[in-house]
Amino acid sequence: MSISTLLENYSEYRHIHPVDDVPHNPYKWAMAIDLDACSGCNACSVACYAENNLPVVGREKFAHGQVMHWMRIERYWDEDGREFPDQGARFLPMMCQQCEAAPCETVCPVGATNHTPDGINSQIYNRCIGSRYCSANCPYKVRYFNWWDYPTTDNVWPAEMNLQLNPDVTVRSKGVMEKCTFCIQRVTVAKNDAKTQGRLVRDGEVQTACQQACPTSAITFGNLVDPNSKVHKKWQAQQVELDKDEQTKDMAEGGSELRGYRIYEQLRPFPSVMYMERVRESAI
Amino acid sequence: MMNSDFDRRDFLKVLGWGGASVALAGCGNGTVENGVETVVPYVEASDYMIPSISVYFNSTCAQCDAGCSITGRIREGRVLKLEGNPESPINRGKTCGLGQAGVQNHYNPDRVRSPLLRTGNSGEAITWEKAYALIGEKLHGVSGDEVAFLTGGMSGHLKVLLGNYLDSIGCKNHVVYEAIAPAVVRAANKKSYGVEMPRININRAKVVLSFGADFLGAWVSPVHFSQQYAQFRKGVDGQRGVLVQIESKMTITGANADRWLVVRPGTEGILAFGIINALGAQGLKLSADIAAAVKGYDKERVSKDTGVSAEQIDKIAALLKARTPSLVLAGGAAEGYAHGSQNAAAINLLNHVLGNVGKTIEAAAVVPFPQMEPATGNTAALKKLNDDLAAGKYKVLFSYAANPVFTAPGAMKFKDNMAKASFKVVFAQYLDETALQADLVLPLNSPLEDWGTQVPEYMAEGAQINILQPLMEKLHPETSGMGDILLALIKQGRAADYNKFDDYYAYLRTALLQNKAALGGAGNADDDVFWNETLSKGIIKLPGASHAALSGKSAVAGLSLPAPAAIDAQYPLQLIPSVNASLRDGRNTNQPWLQESPDPMTTIVWDSWMEIHPSKAAELGITEGDIVEVAGKNGSVKVQAYLFPGIHPDAISIPLGRGHEALGRYAKGYGVNPFQILDVVFDKETGELALHETRVKISKTGERVIVVKDEGPAGGRQMGQKIAPKLPSDKVNLSGEI
Repeated sequence: MSISTLLENYSEYRHIHPVDDVPHNPYKWAMAIDLDACSGCNACSVACYAENNLPVVGREKFAHGQVMHWMRIERYWDEDGREFPDQGARFLPMMCQQCEAAPCETVCPVGATNHTPDGINSQIYNRCIGSRYCSANCPYKVRYFNWWDYPTTDNVWPAEMNLQLNPDVTVRSKGVMEKCTFCIQRVTVAKNDAKTQGRLVRDGEVQTACQQACPTSAITFGNLVDPNSKVHKKWQAQQVELDKDEQTKDMAEGGSELRGYRIYEQLRPFPSVMYMERVRESAI
Repeated sequence: MMNSDFDRRDFLKVLGWGGASVALAGCGNGTVENGVETVVPYVEASDYMIPSISVYFNSTCAQCDAGCSITGRIREGRVLKLEGNPESPINRGKTCGLGQAGVQNHYNPDRVRSPLLRTGNSGEAITWEKAYALIGEKLHGVSGDEVAFLTGGMSGHLKVLLGNYLDSIGCKNHVVYEAIAPAVVRAANKKSYGVEMPRININRAKVVLSFGADFLGAWVSPVHFSQQYAQFRKGVDGQRGVLVQIESKMTITGANADRWLVVRPGTEGILAFGIINALGAQGLKLSADIAAAVKGYDKERVSKDTGVSAEQIDKIAALLKARTPSLVLAGGAAEGYAHGSQNAAAINLLNHVLGNVGKTIEAAAVVPFPQMEPATGNTAALKKLNDDLAAGKYKVLFSYAANPVFTAPGAMKFKDNMAKASFKVVFAQYLDETALQADLVLPLNSPLEDWGTQVPEYMAEGAQINILQPLMEKLHPETSGMGDILLALIKQGRAADYNKFDDYYAYLRTALLQNKAALGGAGNADDDVFWNETLSKGIIKLPGASHAALSGKSAVAGLSLPAPAAIDAQYPLQLIPSVNASLRDGRNTNQPWLQESPDPMTTIVWDSWMEIHPSKAAELGITEGDIVEVAGKNGSVKVQAYLFPGIHPDAISIPLGRGHEALGRYAKGYGVNPFQILDVVFDKETGELALHETRVKISKTGERVIVVKDEGPAGGRQMGQKIAPKLPSDKVNLSGEI
């Protein structure tokens, strides 16, 4: 491949994942999040702390931007200059979008973050050297760096509190980057179970912690290449395609009447999370 | 702690864990780590115990009183995570953030670990025998009238046992106190519908008009209502439900509304009358008495009183008229005034006018055992207790699951009055503000290591009794369950009746088996099978439970609404103490996940703040991070300012739950406690504390801080990017959605 071909067709090269023969066979994990159902209650975020051994950093470190919430709720206001936000706020659960052409992966000097064959952007803690390039390059700002050795920091996991730690998830130490894994420990168990039984993972067999807690069931998670999965059907109904940087439906005159979209699609990271727009009644 | 195989088997037998459908969590880990026990490989592992494989037990979440059923994940004898139990009609497998943090209540490093007796200013660890003997001694020669037993809301067999204990000592002073319960709305519902807590069907309504009912946040049964809300958004007959929220300070429910309307504090009832009036004007037939009652409430006047535009009142009326059934809710923001009862009654009247009673408001199922029904509490009861304490009426005071020193308005001087009781016993998991005033503190098990039954106040479907069972062994050997303590105490007076129960577990088992047929075990000849099934499910769904009838009264006689309060020149601002879904009345503040979980509206963590509207802030020269002094008639607090567009310009808001002086390392010293500066004003009809009646003034102290929050420098703006867009409903096609 000549450099000119590479530059001309760069987008094409960089979003083919995995690079080998059959991509996403038999799994491609993806999500759909319905923002009209999401109430912004934060249950997902706390469930993520419980499942994934996230440290509570405390007030001072939070002020320094060192919070470790893999799943966070962003709150936006309408920007139309009205005195009161009379159509409410807008909530957005934000976590790693598990991009197909992840900007974080290409900049890691040691290959600590890379793509799994089932379409998850993985982070190898014991390979990470803490350059933090990935975080700098992430358009969603969903990568979190261990500035401190939390297991030995006072009051993070004091005696007894440490007994709650999930043995299926590594407790990270100082100097490594971490982020949402789509609860890969749960996915792995489901995949192994299925493999033992000589079948594929059934839709709904594996739930992420955030999805399981969500009181309004706003989060759908599953195998995007399984035509019977709920997540596949949702993506299809919303006409959102994984490998597009602009959806055909949005190119139609007057835009689309469908709610599905992906954040920063135009940057070509090909995220695996589809959001569905919040709706507000026009009759009131 | 289990030291030998023999003990372990014995333990299994005593607790009835032998059945096939349940398995017991294994050995505690603390002693292994301390070197007291050694690690023994699982050469002969128990049938149900496979290292690295989790087992799951059902129990009931005790983080609030909603009664969500939970499934605990247990591995190697430790409970790791709580999930919702899909079989419960209340939460259907879901949990809130507060519920998730239940494990942090259990593993909390600041739990009390042994009975503590006050000697001077310090606590001395004593044995349980000594503690019980001391209580017996202090009660000796004291008449029942001189004893008061304060509790939070309680139900199930614990309530039964407490009742029996109080009988045994001749005490009639069971005071139930919940700091932020919807007590006025309960009373208003009783009048309007004939029941305190009807079943509401958000999912069947096409329009929900909520006057400050934060049903997605902290109101009554939020996880249940959140699911109803999700269905409501998907629509009835394909029509997406519309939520209109009316309140003076935006709650999380308001933030999800299609139309959020800011109303002048206290004028919610006037607005409800205005909407009824507008409905009449638009041709809805009103009965003569209702038409007469709302006659003067034309939209111009109502608009002037409430600050909601006449056009908007017409729009709401038109929407309510066009889309039926609807549902109108009165919540905390409407009831928190001296005329809270009238507000709530006026709002409930809308449901009668719109014909919603019997459709979206239905009779709830009733547990046919009145003794077990939830004892709900209120501040009126606390006021009486406080007055009696001040008068020196009580010699002995017990307190369980309440923290009045923290939650009672400072002006009530509860702490000083409590000191007038000569012997104070507090049952506590933590040394909270009330426990610190006690003479004797008895350490409780966490709800994840205790037995119990619970009857939820809000019944989602049929009647149900929830089961609490230990998800693992006790962490601390010297803690005890409240049931066990009550049993031990009751044996002091009625040994003959209660000696046959070794512990609360035995009592509970006997009690449930005795009434097996009524609990759905009619076809189950074998007690053990029934018992094990019950524990395995974690819920008893009562067959053929009856429903309390709705009485459907819509009388407006005697319902009059005061004119909006004039602005107080000295204290021009209304203080709204807001209820955060995670921290509520402050009992859970020592759970660090909740401290670090950003407030959904402001994204602030680990601290209190004062919300003020940007226009008011500009007027007063306040910017974000200014430390302001909020002063009322009953004291002041200093707190950081946060500019918040979702609040009435004549109001400010400070969240409840923070500002602890005790409780534990994650709670103490973070933020301020607005309970302390509340004006002691009561609802005229029910005698409930009117939480929103406090008037304050604010002044800058000159100090500034950087507000610790999750929100970035862009604030709530998207800077032209499509991050969290929204579509108007007439521009979206929902028909093809899955």
